[in-house]
Amino acid sequence: MNRLFNDRLFTTVLALLAIGVVVLVAMPGAISPYMVNATGQLAAFALLAVSLDLIWGYAGVLSLGHGLYFALGGYVVAMHLLKHAMAVTGKVPDFMQFMGWSEFPFYWSGFEHFGYAAVMAVVLTILLAGACGYVSFRSRVGGVYFSIITQAFVYVAMLLMFRNDTGFGGNNGMTGFSVVFGFDMADPAVTRGLAAVSLLVLVVALVGCRSLVTSRFGRLVIACRDDEARLRSLGYGTLPIKLGVWCLSAVLAAIAGFLYVPQVGIINPRLLSPDVSLEIAVWVAIGGRGALSGAVIGAILVNGVKFWLSSRAPELWPFILSGLVVLVVLVFPNGLLDLGRWRPRLIATPSVVKRT
Amino acid sequence: MTLIRRRSLIAGAALAPLAAPPFIRSARAAGTVKLGCLFSSSGTMANLEGRLVHVVRMAADEINARGGVNGSTIEVVAADPASDWPLYAQAGRQMLQEEKVAALFGCWTSVSRKTVLPVVEQNNGLLFYPLHFEGDENSANVVYVNSPPASSVIPAVDYLMSADGGSAKRFFMIGSDYVWPRTINKQLKAYWTAKGIPETSWREEYVPFGFSNFQTLINQIRTFADQPGGQPVVVLTVVGNSIPDFFREFINQAIKATDIPVLALDAVEADLEGLDTKSLVGHLNCWAYLQAAKSPANTKFLSDWASYVKAKKVPFSGETSIDPMVSTYDAVHLWALAAAKAGSFAVPEVKKAFPGISFDCPSGYKIKMTADNNYVYRGVFIGSVNEKQGFDILWQSKDTPKPVPFGV
Amino acid sequence: MQYLAKSLVQALVLLCALGGAQQAQAYDHAAITDAACGDAASSAEAARLIVTGAGDATADDLAWARSMVTATLERTLACSTGRPPVLSLRNRAAYDTAAAMLTLLAAPEPDARTAALRTLSRKPEQTPAAVLDRATAAERDPKLKAALAEFAQLADLGSPDLARRGRAISHLADAPSTRVATQLATLRADPAYVADAGFRTTVEAAITRVDRWMLVGQVLSMLYNGLSFASILFMSAVGLAVIFGLMGVINLAQGEFIMMGAYGTFLVQQGLRAVAPGLVEWYLPIAIIPVFLVTAGIGVLLEVGLIRHLYKRPLMSLLATWAVSLFLVNLVRVVFGTQNLQFDTPFYVRGGIAVVGDFIITWNRLFAIGFAGLSLAGTWLLLRRTPFGLNVRAVTQNRDMAACVGIATRRVDMLAFGLGSGLAGLAGLALSPLYNVNPQMGTNFVIDSFMVVVLGGVAALEGTVLAALGIGQLNVLVEPFYGAVAAKVIVLLLTIAFLQWRPEGLFALQGRRR
Repeated sequence: MNRLFNDRLFTTVLALLAIGVVVLVAMPGAISPYMVNATGQLAAFALLAVSLDLIWGYAGVLSLGHGLYFALGGYVVAMHLLKHAMAVTGKVPDFMQFMGWSEFPFYWSGFEHFGYAAVMAVVLTILLAGACGYVSFRSRVGGVYFSIITQAFVYVAMLLMFRNDTGFGGNNGMTGFSVVFGFDMADPAVTRGLAAVSLLVLVVALVGCRSLVTSRFGRLVIACRDDEARLRSLGYGTLPIKLGVWCLSAVLAAIAGFLYVPQVGIINPRLLSPDVSLEIAVWVAIGGRGALSGAVIGAILVNGVKFWLSSRAPELWPFILSGLVVLVVLVFPNGLLDLGRWRPRLIATPSVVKRT
Repeated sequence: MTLIRRRSLIAGAALAPLAAPPFIRSARAAGTVKLGCLFSSSGTMANLEGRLVHVVRMAADEINARGGVNGSTIEVVAADPASDWPLYAQAGRQMLQEEKVAALFGCWTSVSRKTVLPVVEQNNGLLFYPLHFEGDENSANVVYVNSPPASSVIPAVDYLMSADGGSAKRFFMIGSDYVWPRTINKQLKAYWTAKGIPETSWREEYVPFGFSNFQTLINQIRTFADQPGGQPVVVLTVVGNSIPDFFREFINQAIKATDIPVLALDAVEADLEGLDTKSLVGHLNCWAYLQAAKSPANTKFLSDWASYVKAKKVPFSGETSIDPMVSTYDAVHLWALAAAKAGSFAVPEVKKAFPGISFDCPSGYKIKMTADNNYVYRGVFIGSVNEKQGFDILWQSKDTPKPVPFGV
Repeated sequence: MQYLAKSLVQALVLLCALGGAQQAQAYDHAAITDAACGDAASSAEAARLIVTGAGDATADDLAWARSMVTATLERTLACSTGRPPVLSLRNRAAYDTAAAMLTLLAAPEPDARTAALRTLSRKPEQTPAAVLDRATAAERDPKLKAALAEFAQLADLGSPDLARRGRAISHLADAPSTRVATQLATLRADPAYVADAGFRTTVEAAITRVDRWMLVGQVLSMLYNGLSFASILFMSAVGLAVIFGLMGVINLAQGEFIMMGAYGTFLVQQGLRAVAPGLVEWYLPIAIIPVFLVTAGIGVLLEVGLIRHLYKRPLMSLLATWAVSLFLVNLVRVVFGTQNLQFDTPFYVRGGIAVVGDFIITWNRLFAIGFAGLSLAGTWLLLRRTPFGLNVRAVTQNRDMAACVGIATRRVDMLAFGLGSGLAGLAGLALSPLYNVNPQMGTNFVIDSFMVVVLGGVAALEGTVLAALGIGQLNVLVEPFYGAVAAKVIVLLLTIAFLQWRPEGLFALQGRRR
């Protein structure tokens, strides 16, 4: 327990998030509906960043295709919501109308049950991530090669999902989720509930990941990052270690997508664009990798500023983001968490994270 | 200790948006009313959508110069959804809930409209949509300023099938793979089937958004065209940058409009910028406005736009004017007319004021709205590409046909 | 009402013109012009009058008719209404045919007459015998005379004389295309096909011949398309390959260097237009050196300012170059706007030439292929035959050892990064006649060029060439069956699968895995 909470920053972040949950649940009306919705989305992004931090910061494997699992969770929940909405309101989804389909493709069956959808999200993610991870880690593809291959994977998935024939709404994706668990999606209470659940899941995931990385398994993961060859020569099989943390990371990303899509009200292949996946890595890099709180802060900071700017000075955003990234990689190699340790020196060298 | 304090500070700053108190500014305070724009100024759609923001600003300036609406000055708030569909919903939500805009003007692709639609309906907002589109939709919260297929596609197809248009018998449909082309083609197939044209006389191909390598497809078109069965035409429903790419390959393979005419449904004057249109003369499009339209309102609009571009250093051509620009311009004026008639900016009041308003559109037609639906009565033009990167008017409707949202 | 009256007048004028045409063979200039200015039907009639009269009009009349037809096509006809009519599609075809006939009869340049004859032979039945006879009688150019004779044979396709028909058929089969194949296939339904064994053999032989050449055309076309795609892939990847091989840095801003190369080309074009308008046609070759130098210079700046500090952290350099690409795209967007740039298409990248069957060589793609070949040769020479190339190869193979023997590795890195960026800039130049040039254009190339580099391996340029050829051809091979998207998906998945089997690509460095 002590080890779990001996990082003051981590504890602070956790406490703030918990306060957020309490405010959302206990004080309806304290926050405008827009802010509630934004909070929920930020929580989902933070969870996504945590999932990437787990694999990049702790296992030293950079995935530039985490959008794949995020979108997988999103598509699964969207399928559930669409079928649910159709059962309640009788409205046929748009994509079936313009494709001229009268019934859902066979692989859509069963998704009207929430439990089935939730289980499928996890199972499909483990299968997909397991397959991709197994072949790559077994042939010891690592470093930038692994990053490029994951990026190619997410790109392939985007191309496939762009096709309407694939049966998931093509470029339009899916939208029109009017009902969730029988409640009207437009009800502010539903928005609040979704946001609170997202925050709560984030808190739980943070505590879980923290206990994982401070455990024996966590030390093995970090050892894997720092010197995989030595760990292997000490007699550890690194494949199951990497594969395990990789699958866990993918499942967390899928859960983030599962929470994100009902709140934003649309899923489409844009989530699978390589740029989106790269941006996740940027959140983590800005916040600070190898520290779960850093990932949370990075995701919330970057997306918070992005939301805030989107109607005020949208043209500034790309410049700010690229400036932030360059600043971080040159001056704060461990992300903004380094801010406290910073001494005036033009170019910093990394202290904690070694070459991967 | 200091270290931790600083760190907590960062954390606090990062979480500030979560904990911040509601920050609502009323749109009606201080004699201003806000109008929101949802057009991308970056990403794949930027070249087309980017123009429309400036048109909204120009129209707002025009109205403000006359003293505004109901005594209030119009303030234009523009977001940049960066051609990223989910961001349209996000920005729309922000506009309606935070900025409290009186009306939204936005979206080019049907995807983005479909994304914003639930947001607008949930918040009881008002969206003016300036593009011709696939129909089959009639939301009470959207004003469809441009034409549904019955008046934006069928007239051109009828023309091609007439003796004057070369008596087209066979159709090669190429579209971007999304809702608008799919729906248009579905409706066209139903239309041809009703006319007794067999299914063997058409082919349907879809390419992804932003597709540019049309070499193989145009080879297929040539092969299709040389097969027996009568005059072939191409019905082109690709959008954005795929349009000039398609035409460029058409030029290179030296196919003329008299051999295989292309009905490029989404092509506007801006798509011909940078193309050698000498080899494209004769290809068709179909819109509710063409730059060549002869009317005093168009002369005024063109010169206003040219001087606006010059004065505000707008990064687009001041000499090109396209239908969606005019539709956006109409939309702002229609909204102002309705708001003035209602004497209010409240959405239900403005909506009630729609029936009966009319406006002198630059196309030369007097466009109007009725109590039937939220569609606008517009004229129809069929354009034919000319040497000067523009469209000549090949045919135009006598008056403004009744817009029919559903079916063909 | 007014409209009705106008039509009536036109109809009257038309009747007079018709009457006139039958008696005197000369054109009634005023009547034809009026008819051409009228509605679609009367305009079509004007074209018909010109075509039927062309056989025996005087030379002056021919010249007049030519200018009148051109004016109608170009919408500069002086009409009494003040506005020349917009031609309907059918009438445009009729006027195009008329223009070709008049050119054949009256143009002094043999090239123009050849082109006109080619236009007419697409629809031989539209040319009246009188026009053909007159053209044949007047023709002095031996080549054209032969072409005219062949053209005359085409008209025999429907002749009752089976021998003449046979000649027409084999002549038709000389220019194989899908259209000819269709035409020949319809002959199988001809009564003569059943009745006459000799005719049947002729038709079948012609069909076999056409089919064979069509197949050749298809194969060539596929190879050409594949080569053209491969050359684009190669050019967008070669700069990346040099940089990645040398420093292990994935330059995500590669696409933006391509974009800047295209913008540089545009600036050269604009500069020439202002300074030396006579040279504008040649802006592509002129731009090669400035574009290379400028993009290489920006590359060197990027290396010195940013990449140099990140060599030990390849994943961070990946993020940093992504930020650079984001910055560059938006900078260009702010400076130039988002619209597509307007490039002139000089004659050497316009149009194409039909080779065999449906195979057309388009000049802009040939330009890209040639340019890729030149870049390959240049890069190869630079890396294999110069001291700088020797240094680059040494550092690529073993950085520490190269440093030990006194190679200034930092300097080599800097120059090589410049070389890679410059090559990307040249890719932008070569792509500007093929693609739309806008701030977003670079993003399309990133994933594809990575796959080429990774598949090719970092040890040698040959790897990049082979990988580009393989991916390009495979894409074109699969595309007709499953469509463009599926082709891309299949090819990417195959590449990924290959990399699982050989993670270091086709040409790997010897020695320990790094």
